[in-house]
Amino acid sequence: MGDAEVHAVRGIDLDIARGEFAAITGPSGCGKSTLLHLLGAIDAPSSGRVFVNGRDTAQLGDAEATAFRLRHIGFVFQRFYLMPTLSAQENVELPLAEAGLGKAARRARASELLGYVGLGDRRGHRPTQLSGGEQQRVAIARALANEPALLLADEPTGELDATTGEKLLALFGQLNRDGTTLVFVTHDSVVANSARRVIRLLDGRVASDTPRVNG
Amino acid sequence: MESIPVRLIRMAAVVVALAAAPLSAPLAAQGDTALSPTYGRTPPAYRGIAIDARMAEDFGLRPGSLARLSGKPGETGDTVRIAAVFERKADPAEVARREYRIRTHLDHLQGLLGLDDRVDRFAVGVPDGVPVDSAVARINHVAFGFRAHKSADVAVQSSRTFRVVERFHRAIGLITVVASAVFLLCLLLLSVEERRRDIAALRLMGIAQGTIIRSIVIEAAVVSVIGSVIGAGIGWVSSLIVNAHFQQVYRTPLLFALLTPEIFAFATLTSLVLGIGAGAAAAWRLVRTPPLTLLGR
Amino acid sequence: MSMRTTLALATLRRHPARTVLAVLGIAVAAALLLDMVMLATGMRESFRSLLLTRGYQLRVSPKGTLPFDSEATIDGATAIVEALRANPDIKAVSPSLGTTLALPSQAFPSVFTLGLEADVQGDYVLEAGRDMPGPRNGAAAAIPLPAVVNRMFLVRSGRKLGDTLTVAAGIDAQLRTTARSRVVVLAGEGRFFYVPAETPVMALPLQEVRTLLGAEYRDRISLAMAESRKGDSVSVEAVRSWIAASQPRVTAISTETAIRQVEERLSYFRQLAFVLGAISLGIGFLLVATLVTLSVNERRGEIAVLRAIGTQKGGVLRQVFLEGFLLSSAGIAGGLLLGLVTARWLNGILRDFPGLPAAFDFFLWSPEAAWQSLALLLISGTLAGLLPAWRAASIPIVRSLREDAVG
Repeated sequence: MGDAEVHAVRGIDLDIARGEFAAITGPSGCGKSTLLHLLGAIDAPSSGRVFVNGRDTAQLGDAEATAFRLRHIGFVFQRFYLMPTLSAQENVELPLAEAGLGKAARRARASELLGYVGLGDRRGHRPTQLSGGEQQRVAIARALANEPALLLADEPTGELDATTGEKLLALFGQLNRDGTTLVFVTHDSVVANSARRVIRLLDGRVASDTPRVNG
Repeated sequence: MESIPVRLIRMAAVVVALAAAPLSAPLAAQGDTALSPTYGRTPPAYRGIAIDARMAEDFGLRPGSLARLSGKPGETGDTVRIAAVFERKADPAEVARREYRIRTHLDHLQGLLGLDDRVDRFAVGVPDGVPVDSAVARINHVAFGFRAHKSADVAVQSSRTFRVVERFHRAIGLITVVASAVFLLCLLLLSVEERRRDIAALRLMGIAQGTIIRSIVIEAAVVSVIGSVIGAGIGWVSSLIVNAHFQQVYRTPLLFALLTPEIFAFATLTSLVLGIGAGAAAAWRLVRTPPLTLLGR
Repeated sequence: MSMRTTLALATLRRHPARTVLAVLGIAVAAALLLDMVMLATGMRESFRSLLLTRGYQLRVSPKGTLPFDSEATIDGATAIVEALRANPDIKAVSPSLGTTLALPSQAFPSVFTLGLEADVQGDYVLEAGRDMPGPRNGAAAAIPLPAVVNRMFLVRSGRKLGDTLTVAAGIDAQLRTTARSRVVVLAGEGRFFYVPAETPVMALPLQEVRTLLGAEYRDRISLAMAESRKGDSVSVEAVRSWIAASQPRVTAISTETAIRQVEERLSYFRQLAFVLGAISLGIGFLLVATLVTLSVNERRGEIAVLRAIGTQKGGVLRQVFLEGFLLSSAGIAGGLLLGLVTARWLNGILRDFPGLPAAFDFFLWSPEAAWQSLALLLISGTLAGLLPAWRAASIPIVRSLREDAVG
């Protein structure tokens, strides 16, 4: 960070199986987001390997990592990060267009995804015309556009009120039941308990890794 | 500026043919030794002429040089001595015409052209205290077939070329000012808008709208003034380059670009007004926007 | 419309005031550039079309002079003109004699007069009335003598076609007498190509003008225009060389030489055009570069997200590039229109130059000028987005996501 070298994560050895629903939790600055970025091939480790779908993403160059993210990883951010100048439909179409899908096909897929997250009737609305929860749903739909093997979410309920957050977690549960591998990061242990596996980090290391029976 | 194929016929236009290779040896060099056939004899008295500096440079002539002067191509003409070299006045109407000019004694030129007792015009000087208008009226009254004109009126006519160029320059200047004004407005608007989050944070802290606007306007004013000074510096250097270039191309002492205090004041004032206006407008827009909206919430 | 174009247009629409100002700035720069390109090429092309209006590619003038550059005349003109006409490579020869004739008892004392042969003349086109007679159909017998004048003559003299007046030569200013005079009828109105529009001019048969001027001018002309049978530059130059070699008392210049000489006299405007054109290109470049750079700086978070969700660096680069391109295009479209308007205005100013032929323009519209300036500015504006586009593509994703808040 700045000019100082910081080891955000160290000695992490994790396996996340296909179809898992895992939460990564821990206090602020423990390396949660960094770990998520490593899983999502946004960042590369200084040492070690990261395998996603059998591929070592740590060895990928920038273009390959980007292509990998496009096809295999879906990202949901705390602050939604939707394009404010595009409609909900167009935001979901973005990764589909990048993947080379034709106009009609992208439109159909985007409509389907928005319907899935319960925003079928809000397709033409801009982000500023949507509530926080709705914006996050659009972000989820965008993340699911190219049918990723892995959906990563960084503090997905951080900007939402408790009720909206619960609804969002319920959607995550539904996604997981429908086959999506989900890993999300949260500092809130209550929110973390909605997952079926809770990985707790402390000072960049895994402090505990507990499967949840009722997740 | 005159076009090539057609020119109004002028009274007594001089057609001068100058020998391509001037006689090089100054007369004083001839007969300067006892062995020379012209030793001791008085050299012939050649008529003197004055030539312009450009001609002197191009043909390697200097006072004392000899040349041949005739009224028509192919005629033998007279041998003349270069008596003087003069610098032509910087006349914008003639700057692009790469002509040579010479001056001769009146009777000499009349003789060369076979004009007998003709002239183009008289220049008349009026004694102090005598009104020019009454002198003009008197001449026009008594002289048959002649018209007297005031020099000032003639100057107005002959400076028409210059005035056209001046108007053209003003028009170009206006367009440039408009383009620069738009550019300046755009930049200042952008630079203020770039700091929307800073403004939002100040508002959240409780800083009054007026204070924020004032500080942005002062900043914009300072930037405008500093920019003007730097711009004037660049303009001054550019004018030196422009003048050096065109003076060399046209071989004239005319100044083509001049940065005056008035121009500097105009440029500074314009950019100051525009800067303050743009800064105020952008700041006003931003302070009226709710801070959370500025922060993107 | 592709997603990239949609996003680019949406980005430009996001801050409409800013975009409008930038487009306006580019439009003014484009207008200035177009005008300068028109100025740089217009003078030459206008003069070329002026010289070739009637097809005469060569001008023959007294030795060492340029056409109508002095009062010098060519003596023994008949023999020279006949020799030129005898050359099978020369299609036509039009001799002319320019002088000033007095107009006794008229609103203005004298008129610039051209003595021409009506059947081959290339100095005017008849716009009203009838033409003066040719040399072979009994001009001398016609009384009064038909003359063709320009509009300025009619306006200033207060006369109309069909009126008669007296023209005279050999004026003695002191005795107020003239040596020779002739009654002429204003038979036709012509548009004279080479005479300034503000100058009254009259055309009379060449032989009549010679008679009026006296014995000294009986075989003189000021200028002859010659048309080469073959119009290509090699053939024209061959004819010019033949004239120069066979007629030592005259100077023959081709259209290209005349154009070069006029360009030299008007070189100041070409250089000014170049400097101002370069400045306007620079302004357009800076404006687009600044706007795109600031736009990219504002959207670091958005751009980082695009990269995070799988947009390649090249995709981001193309996206930002496209924004610069769209901005430049909008500005250029407006600039072309504005440029035509300002060119008309500037041309009107410069047309006021004294002594300028009526048909001469400084700013001449040509599709080539438009394409040239359009291409220059488009390339400049698009390149201006290159650096900010490259910087956008190189934005570090993690750091930007951490630093920037996007709603």
